[in-house]
Amino acid sequence: MTFDLAVRLTEILLALAFLQQCAEHIFWSGETRLLFLPRAVLSVVVLTGIFSEWALLGLTLHSFLFLHRFNGPYNGGSDRMGLLVLYCLCMAQLLQAGLPREAAFGYLGMQVVLSYFISGWVKIINPEWRSGRALRDVFSFSAYPVSENLRGFVQMPRLLWGMSWAVMGFEVVFPLALLHPVTLPVALAVAALFHLANACLFGLNRFLWFWIASYPSILWVQERLLGGG
Amino acid sequence: MLKTISLILPVLIPSWRFFKAVEPSPRVEWAIVPRDAEGASNWTPYQPRPQAVSLGEMFRRLLWNPAWNDALFVVSCAERIALGIEPTSHSVNEIQRRILRDINGLDLGVDEGLMQFRLVFVYRDDTGFVQDVVFVSEPVPVRGAS
Repeated sequence: MTFDLAVRLTEILLALAFLQQCAEHIFWSGETRLLFLPRAVLSVVVLTGIFSEWALLGLTLHSFLFLHRFNGPYNGGSDRMGLLVLYCLCMAQLLQAGLPREAAFGYLGMQVVLSYFISGWVKIINPEWRSGRALRDVFSFSAYPVSENLRGFVQMPRLLWGMSWAVMGFEVVFPLALLHPVTLPVALAVAALFHLANACLFGLNRFLWFWIASYPSILWVQERLLGGG
Repeated sequence: MLKTISLILPVLIPSWRFFKAVEPSPRVEWAIVPRDAEGASNWTPYQPRPQAVSLGEMFRRLLWNPAWNDALFVVSCAERIALGIEPTSHSVNEIQRRILRDINGLDLGVDEGLMQFRLVFVYRDDTGFVQDVVFVSEPVPVRGAS
């Protein structure tokens, strides 16, 4: 995947993720309609690919308003990933061609790897995660399960233990997927399924779209590292 | 400017420590205080989750999930209040505004009095599940304050 193609794909996926987010704010309660309308318009401009570098700059400046309005992210990690993708894209478009642009986009790819590895590492060093107790707590009393019936997973401790180790194991070994051109797309497909499960069980739909938007960067980084980019 | 930098830095250098530990989990409850009463007593859960969600609904929510995302923001605000992340008034106002919006918009039969909300944190210790009330808001009029 060439640098230009990876950047363009990321732009399209990010714009679509932003539009999904904007639609929820504009058409639901309408309280933050005025805040999200500019983001929606600028995302459409990015989608067209015409003057997209200036639209990305506009989205970046607008994100400062967004962060002030909600005193931080609205939806924690997913908003942070969305804005990280945005800032890296903006730098990758506006910096001097060559290494500075590649470094900005490569930083995003590196953060994608870290997002899985660190998330797995902090769990695997925690005895409660290794015993399956932590995931039982997530289902039994955390605010995340989308229905009361899902709390019934607590009655299946062996399944939750297996799920805990599957998640931790996958996240911790994720960086190894960079070593071969075939393993990375497979790992990203598994990761997308993981986000899909989180979206269904915990209602974290925005994580799915923003993480998928970041995937072209890591695919490009791999090609660059293996000498094909 | 410093505030803007403090908001952007965690985006540029994320911690990625998702679910490092399962922390006490907030529940928001609201109540109407009659004008002649000293405090609220009938607390109602705010944004209670449904008993069941079908698989079809789960997939639909991949594209349209505003109510749940708003509920997650309320959880974030509750956690910010409990952690004392300034300005706590911002988080208090965000929760208060949503409860008043729902009381006034959903025709719950509440026309007068004062509204209060409280934050109950649920966690597990050696004896089982524990619920602690960590914050009770100041009463505000139901009408004209949203």
